[in-house]
Amino acid sequence: MDQLLIFSASTYIRYPAKSVRRIPLPLFEGKVAAGFPSPADDYVEKTLDLNELLVQKPAATFFARAQGVSMIGAGIHHNDILVVDRSIEPVPGKIVICALNGELTVKRLDRENGQWKLAAENPDYPDIAIFEDLEMVIWGVVTNVIHPL
Amino acid sequence: MQPLIALVDCNNFYVSCERVFRPDLIGKPVAVLSNNDGCIVARSQEVKDFGVKMGVPLFQIQQLVNQHQIQLFSSNYALYADMSARVMSTLEEFAPSLEIYSIDEAFLDLTGVCHKDPIAYGHKIRKAVFRTTGIPVCVGMGPTKTLAKLANFAAKKWKMTGGVLELSDPVRREKLMRIVPVGEVWGIGSRTTEKLNKIGINTVWDLAIQPSKRIQAQFNIAVARTVLELNGILCLELEEVSADKQQIVCSRSFSRRLTEYKGLAAALAEFCSRAAEKLREQRSVTCCITVFIRTNPFNQNEPQYQRSASAKLDTTTQDTRVIIATANRLLTEIYKMGYRYHKCGVQLSNIKPEASPGQLELFDFIDNGLHENRPLMSVVDQINRRFPKSISVAATGIDKSWKSKANRVSQRYTTDWRELVKVR
Repeated sequence: MDQLLIFSASTYIRYPAKSVRRIPLPLFEGKVAAGFPSPADDYVEKTLDLNELLVQKPAATFFARAQGVSMIGAGIHHNDILVVDRSIEPVPGKIVICALNGELTVKRLDRENGQWKLAAENPDYPDIAIFEDLEMVIWGVVTNVIHPL
Repeated sequence: MQPLIALVDCNNFYVSCERVFRPDLIGKPVAVLSNNDGCIVARSQEVKDFGVKMGVPLFQIQQLVNQHQIQLFSSNYALYADMSARVMSTLEEFAPSLEIYSIDEAFLDLTGVCHKDPIAYGHKIRKAVFRTTGIPVCVGMGPTKTLAKLANFAAKKWKMTGGVLELSDPVRREKLMRIVPVGEVWGIGSRTTEKLNKIGINTVWDLAIQPSKRIQAQFNIAVARTVLELNGILCLELEEVSADKQQIVCSRSFSRRLTEYKGLAAALAEFCSRAAEKLREQRSVTCCITVFIRTNPFNQNEPQYQRSASAKLDTTTQDTRVIIATANRLLTEIYKMGYRYHKCGVQLSNIKPEASPGQLELFDFIDNGLHENRPLMSVVDQINRRFPKSISVAATGIDKSWKSKANRVSQRYTTDWRELVKVR
């Protein structure tokens, strides 16, 4: 406080040189280019955001890591990331995540003669019939696969 | 039009979060532990049925845990916060205004939204939240917040409600109030309950039929308001915008006792960093810093010591370095050798909104030896948001062995790419 001197007559503030503090001033925003402005400037909109493509409903979207090759025929490889939307209606033909016997599994939902079943996309894996309440079993619907090459 | 307010409350929220990604735990006894794995903070219905109370220390129920193979989890706040945000954003679609009351409950203003069939609407909300997030909720409705809370309590307690209950009808209200103890009412604490019981007020109904004037004279305005609210007279409005915190506290108990100044200072510096981050998150500044340290009050065999000290700054700040430097100065004042410290913490108070950038506070020219550097702090925050915990002030130290125990923490299924749930 003692460094601060206020003179009421002329009202100016003096402070010792050592404590002069840098005061950032706002820079002029936006580029000032020498030369012609880019003709593409008018067409710039925004960059593409993958979320827009992969996530319809953020609150209902979860990611899961695929294990094994039971769904290789659907293009799901070991260690791929699955985009799962819990809010989508599970209808026959959709690839779904299911909670079966306490384990989460990814399979294609199918219905044959009124019987719900889970089908693998790999001939080495048998179909699994669902006898429980479908709503209790289905965890979410897979909408996309993220597969690194 | 009569107001209609709903309270949506998640069932055993932390446990439910764990079960979403571990369906094998559905139907099994599950409990979640507090910081440092000390006490029970969430219980599945199975665990409640064993008679395990909220907040009991783990060692007291160790036998039950072994006997019934209760599955225990450390608190996984990254997961719970993310799941909470999903629940809240789902609820937003159902009401024009919403108050997030805690991590697992929200008040919804449903006035004029569903007067024809509020129960059906409640079931719709329940279904949507479960479908979107996997979290089961109960919905309590009534013309006031207090009645919505009471309805929710009843919806949770009595299974035949199907998890949805509405208390606009005074006859139904009376029936319920006559069988619920007064202590279950929102805002009636244990001490008020004791006082009420002494003058013969035992059930909610006993309280609801009191003249509010008399209650105000004998208790206080808050209890009088509760009486009015129980009678369907709206006193408490929805608070939509969460008010910025007036004080920020960051403290933890240590996994092992700290005796040396150096260790305490490092832990304290870390709490200061976190508190300063929170402060900047809500775009505020502080000018009052309090530090406290204490030994374990539950271990009476050891010499006990606890102290706190506060400092008022000449200028306001939101700079981690200023806060750490001040806290350190305070710690040297209260630290005493020869004690085994169990907990320390920092509290920031006198919090005000920050001035807009470039604008100077009156007397801001005072040289406190450490210039505020808002751009620096904002860069640190940005980097830490992208790469958690990558930048810290050196004072926080390298040795983190004092950190709280979290031996049973589950994966951060929704916030870390390396910890996603696995599906076969």
